Order: sequence, then structure tokens, then C-alpha cells
Amino acid sequence: MGDHEVIGLEKWLKDNTGMDIYFWNFLVLMFFTLFEIGAVFFDTIPGTDIKVPLMMVWAILIVVGIIKGYGIGAYFMHLKGDPSIYFRTAMFPVLFVLLMIFGIGLSNPDGVDGLPAWCTPNWDYATR
Amino acid sequence: MSGHGADIENSVWVRALLFAGGFLTFGIIAFSILGIALAGPAHDEYMDAVDLYHHAEDEYKESVAAGHSIEGDHYDELYLEMEKAHHHEVDAHLSYLNWKVSGNTILVMSIIFASFIGIGGLINSLRADVEHGDDEHEHHGSASPIVFTFGIMLFMIGFPGFSNTITELLTGTDAVIGEMLIGVTGLLVIIIGVANWWWEDLPFNGHGEQIATSAPFEGEHIRKAGIWVFIMSEIMIFATFFSSYLRMRTGWCTKWAWDNDMCAADATGYDIMTASDYLRPGGASGTGDFWTMLPGGINTFALIISSYTIVIALKTAKAHDWSRPDNFITKFIPQPIMKIIFPDQKRTVRNFLFATLLLGSLFIVLKLVEWSHLVAEGFTVSTSQAGSIFYIATGAHGLHVFIGLLIMIYLVFKADTVGYDKDNAQGIEYFGLYWHFVDLAWVLIFPAFYLY
Repeated sequence: MGDHEVIGLEKWLKDNTGMDIYFWNFLVLMFFTLFEIGAVFFDTIPGTDIKVPLMMVWAILIVVGIIKGYGIGAYFMHLKGDPSIYFRTAMFPVLFVLLMIFGIGLSNPDGVDGLPAWCTPNWDYATR
Repeated sequence: MSGHGADIENSVWVRALLFAGGFLTFGIIAFSILGIALAGPAHDEYMDAVDLYHHAEDEYKESVAAGHSIEGDHYDELYLEMEKAHHHEVDAHLSYLNWKVSGNTILVMSIIFASFIGIGGLINSLRADVEHGDDEHEHHGSASPIVFTFGIMLFMIGFPGFSNTITELLTGTDAVIGEMLIGVTGLLVIIIGVANWWWEDLPFNGHGEQIATSAPFEGEHIRKAGIWVFIMSEIMIFATFFSSYLRMRTGWCTKWAWDNDMCAADATGYDIMTASDYLRPGGASGTGDFWTMLPGGINTFALIISSYTIVIALKTAKAHDWSRPDNFITKFIPQPIMKIIFPDQKRTVRNFLFATLLLGSLFIVLKLVEWSHLVAEGFTVSTSQAGSIFYIATGAHGLHVFIGLLIMIYLVFKADTVGYDKDNAQGIEYFGLYWHFVDLAWVLIFPAFYLY
């Protein structure tokens, strides 16, 4: 959110609409939030009988999450425009996050039910 | 006043007591309206609905006992009456919780806000004024964060005893006050650390910002680098919640997965209810509709709007030649309202910081209202793994929002007294990074825990 030169799309938006990139980013975030809630709220595509399958809902939630994450990170947190060291700092934990999500989150489909007994001593929730 | 920058007398801190009074007044009024005036009749209606339900239940049981109705016949007139009364009772209960929980939450938050700014302000107003220079070589470093962190460590160590004693006091059982000693000491150290931190920061006018002299942040503000490293650690914390949730979620056969033939081959039906099953329309519990998704939806918008309001506050503070905005949106806003929202540069910054504070507070209130609904419907932290991870992940996020609000109170105070400008707006910028991160975390938590 520091001072930086206004160029490219940011300049075009400012010159042609009078509103800066933060305003348009805000509108995009609002729109996509409505979109993701709608994706879950409606069982069928509005106006049709076409069912919205689970895989499509997943895809929408993930794609919208990426778009919103980019909007907040790039413009509101100003990673786009600030020195690259901040972007690299933000990206540093991603390696560990991916390792954690794969190594812990996705590599054992049994969930905690599959943990050995010594991991869950006297823990009733482990067996639900 | 010590520190580096503007010459400010400690008496300015007396204004913090006005802030505290304002928060308390607002909390008491909100509690009176929501927690008493509106919750009272709602409670009576709930009690009536409970009586009605019990009456319908007794009638049905008597009818079954007399052989007029068949148990399990879901088309029986009395059974349908009983079900209707039950739904009415649930609706009346949730309606009562809306008012009661929101009233109570606003009151408690107001008391905490008032205590935080009031005690800190009082301590600082009693300190002797200290002359300070405007030496360009003097830095803006502070030991207060270390004192503050030490206080948090003490509080966490003493938290079990603190929590037990508070519970015992509230429930009227024998309490051992001594058990609170470490926790209370921690709280005192936190307050002293924060108050001193504020005292050092208030006169800060932008000169003396420490610059990193070595790689990788060479030439950058140390505080900005620090907040990014802090955010890095926060990313790891939230990643643990997500990886734990994914690990459990991939082992569950939820109704959604069951309906889409995505459960294990030997599954005979869905085996667990997630929070989204209670909240999502068509969820397994059958309670989800537009209204159950509304608090989470409003909260998402509240955080996004609050991210934008803090950006406006920063932009306004940094503006070299500020003038009231004139664009295709403000043309639709009447001039008297524009003058209230954008009076001048200093007060516009304060107004937008205050709007951020209000939106964040709304988030906490709606969060607790939503939790109270889930608990009333039987989805608690001890219900299942789904309950545990839901309340821990969303609770940790809510705690981050709440801590952000406590910091924001000080920002509003500084904006109202000393004011922010292009030279000292770093405080808003660095806090804004934290606030945007909290928003970003919610962007992931909301779909993962509420929608999916």
C-alpha cells in the first residue's frame, strides 16, 4: 500500500473512469463473493434444470479463491508495485504450506481414524 | 512526551477517557435495545413456543397411547401439528438468540474496548511530560513489543488458572483467587506494554523510521519487513488448520459427497455433519436456508468493505493535496452527507478508520450470533471432529479480527488527536497489511468451512 508509479491498467482505469485500481479491485472482490455464494446456494443453474455438480462447485470455489486472493494480495497488500523482496517473503511459506497440505491434508484419506493408537491416547474423538 | 517527533503533551491522553466513555455508552445503549428491549419479548415468545410444542407433543403421545394415532406415521394430523410447533419453537429460539447474543456481545466488546483505551490513556495521561528533540539520527525503535510479548507469555501460562477461577466466580462455586495470579500479572504487563507503546508512537511524525542496512531487506523500512515476516508466520498457522481440516475432511463421507457418489465403496450412508451441512441450503441437517448463510455472507462483505475503507484512510492520509472526492459515485451523494464523511483530510482519515472498526465489530457480533445458532442446533466444539476444527479455525480467525480491532482503536485515537499525514501514515499502512491478511484468510476459510 505504499507510493508507487501508476502505469498500465491502473493508469487506464484512473484516466477513463476517474476511479483508482483499489475501487475496481473492491468491486471485483464483491462480485466474486456473490458468485461463490450463488454457486453453493443454487442447486441448479438459475433459469435452467441443469444441476450444479459437486466438482463444478469445487472448481468455482477454488478459482474464485485464487482470484480474490490475487486481488487482495496484489492490490490491497500492494505486492504488485512494492519491491520484489516482499513478494518473495510472502511466497516463502508457500513451499511449507504445500508440503503440509499434501503431507498432512491429502496423503491419508483415512483422516485421523488411521492414526496409530499412541497418537491418540484416551482420545475418544479419534474414533468419532 | 518522549519518543521522536511532534511535541505533544500527555494531557492529550485524557481524550482517551472520552473514547472509553463513548464505547461504554454505546455498549449500554445497544445492550438495552438489543439485549433487553428486543430480546425480552423474543424470550417470552420462545417460552410460549416451548409450551405450545410440549402441549402438542403431549397430545400426540396421548393419541398414540389411546390408539388413535400410529407411532411413526408422519402424515398423522397430530404428528404434523407437533412438527409444526417444533419448527416454530426452533425459529423462536433462534430469533431470541439473535437479539440476546448480539446485545451481550456488543456490551462485552464495548467494555473491553473501553478498558483497553481507558486504562492505557489514564496511565499515559498521568506520566510527566518529557522534552524530546528532533534529532534525525534518533530512531523509532521500542522495547514495548518485547514487554507486550512477555505479558502475553505470562497470560498464556496462567490462562488455565485464570479461566478456571473466572468460571468458578461466575458459577458461584468456591474460587481460589490465587490461581489467577499469573494470568492477571500477564494482563497487567500487557496493558503497561501497550500503553507505553502508544505513548512512544503517538508523537511519531515519520522521522527516524529505521531502515534495514543489509540484505535481503536492504533499504526497506524494518517495521514493514517485520510485519511481512509476521504475516509469513501467520500463513503457517492458518495452513495448519487447513491441512488438519483436509486430512479429516478427506476421510469423511459427508452428505454432499454421498449424493455425488464420492464416498468409499463400502459406505452405507453419510457419517458426519459439517458446519456447512447446517448452514448450506440443502445441507444434511435440513436447517440450512438463505437466512442461515446470511451472517457468513454479510461477514465476508464486511471484511472486504473494511479492507477498502482502510485503503481509503491510507490514501487520504498520504494525499499531498487532498480535496473532497468528486467522481461518478459521489455525484449521487448529497453534499451535506459528503461533508460529514469527508470533512477535511485529518477527520476523513479518522472516519474511515472508524468505519473499519465498526465493520470489524459487526463481523465479531455476527460470528457469535451464528455460533449461538449452531450450538443451539447441536453443533458444538465437542460434537465431532467437524465441530472441533470448525470452531478452532474460525475462532482463531475471529481472535485475529478482535486483536485487530483493539489495535484499530488506537489508530482511530491517533487519527482523532495527532492525525495522520503523508509522513507518518506508515502506522495505517503496516496495520493495513495485517488487516488485509485477516481478510485474505477469511477468503479461504469462508468457502472451505461454510460453503463446501
